[in-house]
Amino acid sequence: MTFGEKEKTMQNTLRQFTSLAITLLLVLWSVITAQGYAFNEIVPDVRQPGGVSSGSACPVPSHQLTSAAAIAFRWSTMLGTNPKTILTQNQTPSGSLNEIEQVIQQSLSIWTSVAGTALTAASVAPPVRNSSANLCGSDGINSICFDQPDMAFTPGVLAFTRVITADQIGIQLGSGAPSAQVGQILDADIYFNPSDSLVTFSTPLALAANPKSYDLESLLTHELGHTLGFSHSAVWSAMMFPFAPAPGTFTGMRPTAQLPDAPLADDDRTGTRVLYHDPADTQFIGSLQGHIIPANPLSLPASPPGVTGIFGAHVVAVDAASGAVIAGTIGGWSCQAPGPAQFDGTYQISGLAVNRSYKIYAEPLNGAVGPAEVSNAISSLCRNATTDPGWPPLQSCVVPAPSLEFTTATRSSP
Amino acid sequence: MSYKDRRRVLWVLFLIGLALLAVVAQATTLVRLRFQDLVHHSNSIARVRCLRADTRMENGEIWTDTTFRVLSRNKGYLPEEIDVRQPGGQFQHLHSHVDGTPEFRPGEEVYLFLAAHNGNQFLIVGWSQGTFRIHRDLRSGGETVTQDSAETPVFDSASNSFTKSGFKNVAVNAFEQRIHREISRESE
Repeated sequence: MTFGEKEKTMQNTLRQFTSLAITLLLVLWSVITAQGYAFNEIVPDVRQPGGVSSGSACPVPSHQLTSAAAIAFRWSTMLGTNPKTILTQNQTPSGSLNEIEQVIQQSLSIWTSVAGTALTAASVAPPVRNSSANLCGSDGINSICFDQPDMAFTPGVLAFTRVITADQIGIQLGSGAPSAQVGQILDADIYFNPSDSLVTFSTPLALAANPKSYDLESLLTHELGHTLGFSHSAVWSAMMFPFAPAPGTFTGMRPTAQLPDAPLADDDRTGTRVLYHDPADTQFIGSLQGHIIPANPLSLPASPPGVTGIFGAHVVAVDAASGAVIAGTIGGWSCQAPGPAQFDGTYQISGLAVNRSYKIYAEPLNGAVGPAEVSNAISSLCRNATTDPGWPPLQSCVVPAPSLEFTTATRSSP
Repeated sequence: MSYKDRRRVLWVLFLIGLALLAVVAQATTLVRLRFQDLVHHSNSIARVRCLRADTRMENGEIWTDTTFRVLSRNKGYLPEEIDVRQPGGQFQHLHSHVDGTPEFRPGEEVYLFLAAHNGNQFLIVGWSQGTFRIHRDLRSGGETVTQDSAETPVFDSASNSFTKSGFKNVAVNAFEQRIHREISRESE
C-alpha cells in the first residue's frame, strides 16, 4: 500500500469516527516514551535492590548484548523428511544443510548490515549445527528448530519465536551467562511447524521451483527480528509487519553485496537504530516527540484512572521530500524514573536522519494491524500488586485499552 | 484524457498491482484458516468469560493458563470452567514473549474455537484466528463479534486479488447461525 492509499484509508477512518476530536501536539519531552517501532517491553523488578533492578519501574525494551560474538545461534540439522518441510535446490544431504545454513547467515546479516547501529556482524557468532531433535527449549542458548514439535502448535500456526527476557541483573537461564543488563534477552528460540503436511518452506534458490511453499529467508528474517527484541510493526512494507508474504513470494528485495539489508524497510532500520543505538553515529540522531490528546477529556476512559491522552495510536513519520514512511510507533505513554508509565498520549520517534523534514500522522490501530498483533509492546508496560504480589503501590499502573476510534487534527506547540 | 495521461495512469496501476503482489497473505506465525477450517479443526466452540490467568513453568517452558467460565456451547462438550493454554508469560524474573498470542482481560467475553489438549485444558485453534471478541453496544444492548485476525488480507488466486474474509462487527445471532451452518455441513 502506498502512502497515498494509507491517507485515503485514514480519511475514511476520519469520516467514520467524528465523535471524538483529537489534537496532535508537537512538543519536546525529556522522558522515556514510546519510541519509534514497537519493542517487547519489560518492567524491571523494583522489589529488588536498585543495584540489580535500576530501581525504576519504567519499561525497558528487550534486547541482546552487542559485544563481540554475544549473539550466538545454533540450529538443528534434524529436518522433517516425511513429508519434507524444508525444500532446497541442492538435494544432497550435505548440500541441503549448507544451503539452509546459508539462509540463516544471510538472514542474520540482513539485520547486522543496517548502518548507524551497534548491532554489527561482529556481534553475531557463526551459527552452529546440532543434530539434537529437541534443541529448542529454555536453556539459555538461542536455537532454530525446523522439526521440533511443540505443544503451542495448533492447526494454522506456521512458526513462532519464544523470547525470554530478564527483569533484573544476575538472572541465569540454563547454561547461559547471568544477565548483565535489565531487559537482556537470555534465550530466543525459533520454531517452524514440522507437523502440517500442507506447509513447506523453500530456500531462495528453491522458491521458484516450489511456488506453493513459503520463503524461508523472509520468515526467518522476521523471526530473527523477534529474537532481537522487536514486536510487530504496523507499517505495511516492514519486515516486522505481522503478515508474511504469500507462498512463492518474498518480502521486499533480496539482499545484495551492495544492499545487504535490502529486505528491510526504513521502519525496520529506524527500529534497529533505536534499539541498538550506536553512540558514535552522528547521522541518525534526530527525534520527534509529541502528544496525542483529546479535545474533550471526557472521551478518555474512566478506567484505569489517570489516563490523560490517547493510548495505542499508530504514529508515523514520513519523509517530507520523498513521501517515504520512515518509522512508525505505538504511542500514548511516557515514563520518568522511578516510574511507573504514565498514559498521557506521548509519542517519540527516534533514530531519524538529521537535516531532513518529516510529516507526522496518527491513526487508530484498527486497520491492517490491530492491538492483538502488538500485544507484547502494549500489555507489558505495567506491573502491579495483581500481577506481582508485593509490588509497591507508588510504582504500580494498569495498561488502558488502546483507543481504536478517534479522528485527528493538528495544532502547533503551545 | 491524453495518451500521455492514460499511459501514466496505466503505469501507476501497474506499479500498484506489483506492490499488492508483494504484500501479505499469511501471518508470519499463522496460516490463514477459512471459517469452515476453523470449525472443522475445533473440538469445541463456546462463548466464554475470562476469569483469571496463571503463569507456570512446565517442561522447561513458560505457559499462561487462562481460566474461562463457559457461558454457552456451540460445538462439543465443555465443563463449566476451562483452562486455555498459551505459550509465554511471566515467571519469577523471566518474561517469555511470543508475538501473536491473544490476551484476555478478566470479565471479557469471547467466542473461542478450541482444540482439546489435556483434560480441561485447551488450545486456541490458529491463536488470533480462533479468537472472536464480543462487543456490546451500550445504547442498543446489541452484541457484535470481531475476529482478532479480521483484517488479515488473504490473496485469492482465483480472482487474483486480496480479500479480507475475517469477521468484523458481525451480529452475535448471525455469527452463531454461521457456526451451526458449518457444523451441519460438516456432519452431512
